Amino acid sequence: MTSAPLVLGIETSCDETGVALVRAHPDRSELVGEAVASSVDEHARFGGIIPEIASRAHLEAMGPTLRRALEDAGASLEDVDAIAVTAGPGLVGPLTVGASAAKALAVALDVPLYGVNHVIGPAAVGELVHGLFPVRLMALVVSGGHTTLLRVEDVVTGVTELGSTLDDAAGEAFDKVGRLLGLPYPGGPHVDRLAREGDPRAIRFPRGLTAAKDQERHAYDFSFSGLKTAVARWVEAREDAGEEVPLADVAASFADAVADVLVAKTIAACEREGIDTLVVGGGFSANSQLRELAAERCAAAGVTLRIPPLRFCTDNGAMIAALGAAAVRRGVAPSPLELPVDSSMPLELVTL
Amino acid sequence: MSGAAVEVVLADAEAARDFGRALAGVLRAGDLVLLTGPLGAGKTTLTQGLGEGLGVRGQVASPTFIIARVHPPLGDGPPLVHVDAYRLESLDDLEALDLDASLEESVTVVEWGEGLAEVLAEDRLEITIERPQGEVADPEAADLGPRHVTVRAVGERWAGVELPH
Repeated sequence: MTSAPLVLGIETSCDETGVALVRAHPDRSELVGEAVASSVDEHARFGGIIPEIASRAHLEAMGPTLRRALEDAGASLEDVDAIAVTAGPGLVGPLTVGASAAKALAVALDVPLYGVNHVIGPAAVGELVHGLFPVRLMALVVSGGHTTLLRVEDVVTGVTELGSTLDDAAGEAFDKVGRLLGLPYPGGPHVDRLAREGDPRAIRFPRGLTAAKDQERHAYDFSFSGLKTAVARWVEAREDAGEEVPLADVAASFADAVADVLVAKTIAACEREGIDTLVVGGGFSANSQLRELAAERCAAAGVTLRIPPLRFCTDNGAMIAALGAAAVRRGVAPSPLELPVDSSMPLELVTL
Repeated sequence: MSGAAVEVVLADAEAARDFGRALAGVLRAGDLVLLTGPLGAGKTTLTQGLGEGLGVRGQVASPTFIIARVHPPLGDGPPLVHVDAYRLESLDDLEALDLDASLEESVTVVEWGEGLAEVLAEDRLEITIERPQGEVADPEAADLGPRHVTVRAVGERWAGVELPH
């Protein structure tokens, strides 16, 4: 018979409805049940996400996904001690569906509500896999919407944003290059697959913000816009000349440039900050070039790499429940029931 | 209904941001700006300057993934609604984006909105950005090179308004 608080996490910031239950033990966070419903197939038909469709899909999926997560955990709603929900950043409509469900549950069950930050979730999910975090760590959160380097002294109360992408997120650059190469939406996984068949050294694409002159102002920032433009112009030139575009080599060289920049800048940041643990999370942490290069260079630099298994890379409720569990464990104040959703929620605000 | 057109050449990204800042000076709540140009033209860069000029919260970055991002004002100016229609098939009504800011109260910038976003407002600024084409010898320089920018003012709202040039 365990008495550690059971935290229900709800994630609806984009096209995945995620619900999970995490038990907040004093010395660990334990995932006891989860369920995810995705509307990505519905969006794929349109070549992109449609906010209205996503909102409706969340609305339809919320009840069933909640029931599946509870079944998976062998728990009932009465067992829930706290609710955590993504308050932002994300799409306003989908966020509102999740927040409304969370508020209704919090009122009905008379338990505290925690509105948490979606971008910190992928960092927090590591606690379910590798145990509670050490005191200081570096977190690289990479997805279709974010590319952010965080110094984490405490995953709830001590997150400092060291840098971010100045233009495109890494996953977004993949999606755009995917479209450029005529691959289906979302382009990321397709470019990844194609890249494995090509030569990463075939074409020299730029590494944004890695030059010595950029280190003073942008040591911790990323830029993928120049890379994206370079790929576009390289492909344009081949097409204008009536030549065939070597798709696999373009994909491989592009993917290599992205992984190289992410890993090189992150490890340099670890060294500069004197941090020896790196957590990589977010949808783009599923990228095979990034995973391989990070493992290789972290080993060489003596940095412990915590990269979650693939199933935690896409949006899920477990990361939100994990962050909620971390908040409960620290006894931070719950959010008010008027909790607003915030499409551009600042990253250093972990709970609202 | 087409009004004045202004053409400028912007030498680099800093010039694009400066132009965005200057443009912010003539914008007010309810205005719509459409940005057109190929991948890598500098639409987001120009919008970054525009956001600075308006004095809004947050790093203005590409909203492609999130489709629309609302930047609340830091002072008493209007919020900036930054939309990327790249992945949208239609944009009959901005309401479909479920934004927590209205077109009337905000400055709305739509990237990739050509042929989609015109229905949003009769009055608008249509900005076209052209970048150099083709391969560059030094790949690090892919984003460099001058941008040819055309600003076309459409509708009554812009009658007699002097655009930055």
